[in-house]
Amino acid sequence: MSFRRKLLLVFTLTVAVSVAAVAWLVSAMIRRAFEKSESERTAALVAQFQREFDRQGDDVVRRVEAITASESVVHMAASLNAAAVADSSGYFDLARAAAENYQLDFLEFVDEHGIIVSSAEWPAKFGYPESAFDRLSSLVGHAAFLRQEELQDSAALGMFAVRATRLGDHPVYVIGGRRLDKQFLSALELPPDMRVLLYQNRGTHFAADLLVDASSSAGGTGGKRPAEKLAALIEAATQSNREMSAIVHWTPDQTEDEIFEAIPLRGAGRDQPLLGILLVGNSRRSYVELKRKIQASALIVGSCGIILAVLLSSWAAARVTRPVEQLAAAAHDVAEGNWNARVEVSGNDELAKLAESFNRMTVELLNQKERLIQAERVAAWRELARRLAHELKNPLFPLQLTVENMLRAKESNPTQFEEVFRESSATLLAEIANLKTIISRFSEFSKMPQPQVQAVQVNGVVQRVAQLFEAQLRAPGRPAIQCTLDLDRDIGPVQADPELLHRAISNLVLNAMDAMPEGGTLTLRTKCVEGKAIIEVSDTGVGLTPEECERIFTPYYTSKQHGTGLGLAIVQSVVSDHGGRIIVHSQPGRGTTFVIELPSDGNESRNEGVISTA
Amino acid sequence: MRLIGFPFLVVSSLLWAFSASASTRPHYGGTLHVEMRAAPTSLDPADSNQSNWFGLRNLSSLMFETLVSLDDQGKPEPALAISWQADSGNQRWRFLLRHRVTFQDGTPITSDAVAASLRRTNPTWKVFSEDDTVIIERDSPAPNLPAELTVPRNSLVKRDNGKITGTGPFAVSRWDPGKRLLLAARDDYWDGRVFLDAIEIEMGRGLRDQAISFEMAKAQVTEVAPEQAHRAAESVQSSAPVELIALVFSHDLQPPEDGRQRQALALSIDRRLLNTVVLQGGGEPAGGLLPDWMSGYGFVFPVDADLVRARHLREQVRTVPVWGLGYDANDPLARLLAERVALNARDAGLAVQPTVSATPDVRLVRIPLAGAGGRISLAEVAGVLGLMRPQIGGDSAGELYSVERAMLDTNRIIPLFHLPVAYAAAANLKNWTPRSDGGWNLADAWLASGKP
Repeated sequence: MSFRRKLLLVFTLTVAVSVAAVAWLVSAMIRRAFEKSESERTAALVAQFQREFDRQGDDVVRRVEAITASESVVHMAASLNAAAVADSSGYFDLARAAAENYQLDFLEFVDEHGIIVSSAEWPAKFGYPESAFDRLSSLVGHAAFLRQEELQDSAALGMFAVRATRLGDHPVYVIGGRRLDKQFLSALELPPDMRVLLYQNRGTHFAADLLVDASSSAGGTGGKRPAEKLAALIEAATQSNREMSAIVHWTPDQTEDEIFEAIPLRGAGRDQPLLGILLVGNSRRSYVELKRKIQASALIVGSCGIILAVLLSSWAAARVTRPVEQLAAAAHDVAEGNWNARVEVSGNDELAKLAESFNRMTVELLNQKERLIQAERVAAWRELARRLAHELKNPLFPLQLTVENMLRAKESNPTQFEEVFRESSATLLAEIANLKTIISRFSEFSKMPQPQVQAVQVNGVVQRVAQLFEAQLRAPGRPAIQCTLDLDRDIGPVQADPELLHRAISNLVLNAMDAMPEGGTLTLRTKCVEGKAIIEVSDTGVGLTPEECERIFTPYYTSKQHGTGLGLAIVQSVVSDHGGRIIVHSQPGRGTTFVIELPSDGNESRNEGVISTA
Repeated sequence: MRLIGFPFLVVSSLLWAFSASASTRPHYGGTLHVEMRAAPTSLDPADSNQSNWFGLRNLSSLMFETLVSLDDQGKPEPALAISWQADSGNQRWRFLLRHRVTFQDGTPITSDAVAASLRRTNPTWKVFSEDDTVIIERDSPAPNLPAELTVPRNSLVKRDNGKITGTGPFAVSRWDPGKRLLLAARDDYWDGRVFLDAIEIEMGRGLRDQAISFEMAKAQVTEVAPEQAHRAAESVQSSAPVELIALVFSHDLQPPEDGRQRQALALSIDRRLLNTVVLQGGGEPAGGLLPDWMSGYGFVFPVDADLVRARHLREQVRTVPVWGLGYDANDPLARLLAERVALNARDAGLAVQPTVSATPDVRLVRIPLAGAGGRISLAEVAGVLGLMRPQIGGDSAGELYSVERAMLDTNRIIPLFHLPVAYAAAANLKNWTPRSDGGWNLADAWLASGKP
């Protein structure tokens, strides 16, 4: 990652984190404010419910008292008091009629022994004892209370009041009440987004059918809002017998969430049994929508901030990093060999000083390079002079001896001069020829011709070289060298000068033969690897040291006693001219392998040079 | 002064006597307004797909007649047939038709028309006509055939292109199926014109609405629930008990335990308290199928609850299933009775759950007892239970008892009550008393002048 990008990333992250922190802070503050408001609303609703409960209770009390004082009940009480053996059969339907008249859901007339005379909610129960008579009779005159009334096939929660007739010695108890049902809940005046549910506490486990929901016709429980989702809260409130609250997620959509306050409803009496759970639900829609708006605003502001930050950061980073980038580019140019690379120096800061130092460094490097080239040239000329001196000194010494021998023979033994002259002339001619050879080699190296490329079958060139040297490899008087050809038939033609390629391979073969004075195996191998034609010349000779491998392609360098040091230099020159490269693999005592890579179909590789491994 | 006062007193006395005689003497005219719960969509007495047996029977009796009718003692008496006789095996019966009887369209009845009408409602009978005689042949001895012919479905009906006509004292003037029926008295009725000019019948009226109409003098005859009959005893007239309320099991007995459980249920029900409280004494606790007035031996069947024995039987049952007790959801009395039965059963350790399900284990049913005698009524009960119609050859109470006992021993039915049919009649409807079987007897009824 570039310095500019890093800088940009740091700037951007800084802005994003700042925006996120602000959004979180605002969101947390709103959540706290909403929770406080919600708590206040819930408390208000509970208070309202209590007032409504009290009002309904007073209403129930009034109605029960009115029934107790009604003519029909008084008549019944008088009748039951008057008769020696009370016959209540004529009144068994009275409770139903009175309940209808006074709009009560529950109404029972019970005699002093606790026997039901008439029941509106369960008419068939006449003559049966009222199971809670003892407790109910003690509540005569009390305010309304909650009670669970047993019905034919279920039970119902209601608000009850008990009164008794005062006629005679045998009172009749009037137990009336209203059902806490959907209608009751619907009568509550609720703020928007709030609702009340009532769970009747019957049985040990939650049952959905015991939940009364006044809003079931309009988005209440059921369907998308299964009552079972309230089970955990209801059971927890039932077990703990105290108020609890929880958030209910009806659907994955958070706007449907509601927070419920579960309030236990207890009955009358000492034990105050838990008869129901009042559930006050408050929609979290407004909160979630507000939260989403804040999040959306934060997102927009954050996005804009980030975009602005990117733009500003880009501008700032550009200002800061441009000199650094120029320095980096200049350094790269220098690395590529452009020693004339310079950096513009502007200002007087640290980067300007760095640029100035860089420019001084490149100037110094350029000067050192020129001095080095000069030194290398001198060294090369010295090496050339040494070589020439060495090469020319060898034939000149015999020439000198031969001429001195002829002069000595002329002066001391004229009769044998002719014979000495003839022998010496032959020697002189031979050494002169030797000098010519040396000179012609140097001349050839200096006059390497430009390759005349054409499509050349590599296998054909290799085979011709092998045929050329076949006789020499098997020449009598020297250890035999086994020549092995391993040619890839699928290798295609290469663009090359056949003569130069032949010469290069021949040089490598000659080199291999020199490396195997005790005989061995010469292997010529061709193959095609990744579109390149590969020619390998391997011997099993003495091998090369790593140092020799490094210098073996240097002109005039030789490890042989009589070599000119130009053979492998010529090979490397030919390969380079063909856009290829030559590699040497060698280990002392285990032979040497030269690998020539040539681009097939004229695909020249610019990776010229020599790679050696030892 | 004395001479002037005496003639004035005589004239005044004569005027008072004349006016009093005029108000108590039968006279023709007037329209009788009747309301009823039944809302039949067809007036055909052979249509067996309609409920409310009593209402339909009474309607039918105004327009249609049978060959034989029943007297107040439940014995066959001549109607359209003036006499009848059977061969020695009681398989072949001959009925001699009454003369000068005409249908409401004026055509005289013939033996062919009577035979065709009987063949239609009784496809298994062989009915022939011969001069003024109708011959009925049965596959097996039918000693009760005259009684069978008294039921409304065997009324003489002339069917002509979907239009039905009878021989009864009234003819249809207007008919809104299920809503209103207007009948006009026939001047050419064979037994003489009735006093009433017309009868207007409002149908599908609930008991509460009928009571209101009666109180507001919009109707002169309305139906009254037996348990309400005591509240307006002055204007209410009741029949003998002609309806059986019973629990009928949907299945035959399964293992022996099932029988014990059913017996326990029968013993757990406090019929007397139910009759006193729920029916307000309007019915009779029933231990048998036939009411005592019909069979003469009804008292031998116990009706008292025996909770101890019920619990003892219950203890002999290892597992007690929950029985669904079905009842007519439109009948408040049935619901109350079902709930009370469930409570009584619970006292005995049984589990009975009132339900309006279409396939309960046991049903609370009302079975009309035809009033055509114990044999026909037992046959009707057997039909409700899905049993074979009992063949009662003799005429003795002993044979009737044996058949009834056998039916009770199947444990398919638990009798609860026998109920009468009660009507409220306005004070200006004179000379009208329901028959013992609850049927209307309007032949001699007349309306006094003035508003009812």
